[in-house]
Amino acid sequence: MQDTKHIVQPNRNRNILLTIFATVLVAVALLILTSLGSVKLGSALALFAIWGIATVSLNLVNGTLGILSLGHHGFMLIGGYTTALLILSDDKREKILASGRSSMTPFTVGLSIDNFFNAIGLTAFTTDETLWLRFLVAILLGGLMASVVGLIVGIPSLRLRGDYLAIVTFGFGEIIRLTASTRIFSPITNGALGFSGVPTEFGKSVWWTFAFLGITIYVISKLKYSSFGRAMEGIREDEIASEAMGVNLAYHKVLGFVVSSFFAGIAGGLWVSWLGGARLDSFLFTLTFFFLVALSVGGTGSITGVLLGTALVVFVRQYGDPLEQSYLITTWILAIGVILLLTALAIYIFRTIRRSRPKIIPAFYLFLIAGVATVVLALLAPSLGIMQGEFRGFGMRAIFLSILLIIIMVFRPDGMVGRAEFNWAWVFRERLDQPTEEERKQDAWLSNPELNRPGGAANTSDVEED
Amino acid sequence: MASKSTKVKKTINWIPWLLVLAILAIVVGRIIYLGTVHDRFSSAYFIRAFLESLKLGSLYALIALGYTMVYGIIRLINFAHGEVFMVGAFFTYYLFSFSPYPLYAAVIWSIFIAFGFMKIIELWRGKLKDPVVLASGAFAFVLATYLLSQTTVNFFVALVFSMLLTGVLGIVIDKIAYSPLRTAPRNSLLITAIAVSFFWQNFGLLVFTNRQTPFRPDTFLRNRMVFAVGDGTVRTTMLSFAIPLISVILVVILTLFVTRTRLGKAMRASAQDAEVAQMMGISVNKVIATTFLLGSMLAAAGGAMWGLNFGSLNQPAIMGILPGIKAFAAAVIGGIGSLPGAVIGALIIGFMENFMTAIFPKTAEFQGITEFKDTFAFILLIIVLLIRPSGIVGEDLSEKV
Repeated sequence: MQDTKHIVQPNRNRNILLTIFATVLVAVALLILTSLGSVKLGSALALFAIWGIATVSLNLVNGTLGILSLGHHGFMLIGGYTTALLILSDDKREKILASGRSSMTPFTVGLSIDNFFNAIGLTAFTTDETLWLRFLVAILLGGLMASVVGLIVGIPSLRLRGDYLAIVTFGFGEIIRLTASTRIFSPITNGALGFSGVPTEFGKSVWWTFAFLGITIYVISKLKYSSFGRAMEGIREDEIASEAMGVNLAYHKVLGFVVSSFFAGIAGGLWVSWLGGARLDSFLFTLTFFFLVALSVGGTGSITGVLLGTALVVFVRQYGDPLEQSYLITTWILAIGVILLLTALAIYIFRTIRRSRPKIIPAFYLFLIAGVATVVLALLAPSLGIMQGEFRGFGMRAIFLSILLIIIMVFRPDGMVGRAEFNWAWVFRERLDQPTEEERKQDAWLSNPELNRPGGAANTSDVEED
Repeated sequence: MASKSTKVKKTINWIPWLLVLAILAIVVGRIIYLGTVHDRFSSAYFIRAFLESLKLGSLYALIALGYTMVYGIIRLINFAHGEVFMVGAFFTYYLFSFSPYPLYAAVIWSIFIAFGFMKIIELWRGKLKDPVVLASGAFAFVLATYLLSQTTVNFFVALVFSMLLTGVLGIVIDKIAYSPLRTAPRNSLLITAIAVSFFWQNFGLLVFTNRQTPFRPDTFLRNRMVFAVGDGTVRTTMLSFAIPLISVILVVILTLFVTRTRLGKAMRASAQDAEVAQMMGISVNKVIATTFLLGSMLAAAGGAMWGLNFGSLNQPAIMGILPGIKAFAAAVIGGIGSLPGAVIGALIIGFMENFMTAIFPKTAEFQGITEFKDTFAFILLIIVLLIRPSGIVGEDLSEKV
């Protein structure tokens, strides 16, 4: 600890000021965007923040710790359902009790922050104006529930490695979802019916979601640059070596997993509020798949990259609906032909830039001929009278994202930014690895021509004894 | 952990065997108890449950073999295998229910069928540019075009065609998505596999259908069978015997291929050490392509019979997920990388799912465990991974220093 005090980051105060300034700038930008932009833009921004929380927390496990966790949707489900149950309004609760199909008991229906505050005498906090406080308590409890489950899941499964661990986390994620509707848990989760009518003013609010995103980024980046984070990165690079260096493998893995599932629970709570209801089919594996796309596209291990990837995924999800409209079949075929031609062009440009020889490979001709044939077919089809009618591209966004993920994995497995993080030194093109004054002196001593005279070896050995 | 001990004296890990004994004791005790408590639980009831479990287990075995073969060679959990299974089922469905096709559609189908047939013959002849291979490809093309454009193909022809088509699909998936990543970290490969799986789920939703599809081919396999056992009668269909039989035939063919042929030997060598196998002159890429071909063919057969068994195909986005992941669990339970292990694991999963729900039925005082049956495979998987990661018959594939 004492040594680190002497290391002074260059321009530390400037960086802090710049960070504060940038945060204010983001807030002003959000203010302008939400007041001028449409409702759709606001909900897209909120979704970006919610999924950003989830991806940044998943990145702690997948990127920093190097464990492929595929059960993030399960932890989100726990956080989401806890939040939904705790803040549901009274008339919704009465409806659930009155409904014959629900299997909730009066006790589980009565589980709410409202009743808790009433019971301990804080009736001032049970009004409609103080819903935000109850939501805050509920979402934190949701995060805690998720992290408790993360602990229960993590302790046995984190002894495994690699693929097995991935499949076990996937299995746990699915078990959480599959058992949530069974009769053990349906008194709490309301079975397949789920909860509807969760207040949306928090999940759809840019301020709430971005505040949580900011807290998440702050906590996780602090963790990443602490000794815990260094130990986790060590585990990622080489488990055996870091164990030999004295890193407690199980402790760090479980710690990362629990912190990650806590924030997954927070994201789940906001997600439920964004959706306005908690249902089991809003927590499918699809969710984790989207996060994996965001991680891989942006750069697994880098918070900056992960946020960039999340922005892309959210953009495709919210603004990709033109892809799923109904178009003429010939239009679709034309689009496929154009994509094939563009692929051929990309191959050509790629090989020209890389100066690969042969410049033109068989795949180029293959794509070119297939593309030309498809385009010709699409253009001729109306006059030939074949392939009439329209076709709805249902699921095209997911197809687009999965193809994108395959392409990223094949051609640029590190993603957009790799493991690099955003920092101010990068903005100002500063070098953080400038040698200190002492190191300069040593360098000068080493390059001293006097030492290179015959017999210098004796001198150096003298110095080494110092 | 006894399995981790490095003592010279070999210690036996008692925990798995005690668990197996306990489960067996519970099952036997439960059967005896149920037999005394109610007339409904006669021997016929248990025989029917046994047949159903065997059927389900052999379906899982067909899928699990693909997982275990691929994992054995490139150490990849082929997440897309469940989707290959789904696509195979849908190919079969389209082949038998929409034929005869117009000529151009029949030609497009037949190109791929003939290519798949050539790949099969290539396993025997060794290279693609061989007169026998080319001639058989041409023959298959003509035959398939004729059958698909002129006749309504029956279930077995559709099954064979669909196996060939799906085998080609497996090779294509490997070529496009996995082969560029041979030297990449394993997590990248796994994420790619998830992406491929997701692609096929949504592609199926887009191209095939988005609802349940009835799957009722006109075949004698669906005939009813009734026979008397003791004082009761067992009502079942021919499928209870046909599905295990077809699975056994396919597994025996696969085992003979892997143990008796040169390519099978190359396959086992690559599974042991791909690098050294390559140095010895084995074309590992070819071996991997063969693995994907065979695994996908088995998955297609499993998919077709899955549809036959349940009478309908689930919608494409979810059809492959649960069977695929359960079959993977079966492969791990049996010992991933081992062919008999996959079959044993699949039978265990099949019995867990079906026989357990049959011996814990819904009665007046107990609601049954049917709604939990999808989680059994996962729970068993986690237990096996924690107490014996190498599976029942498998060798230890964990990373070494």
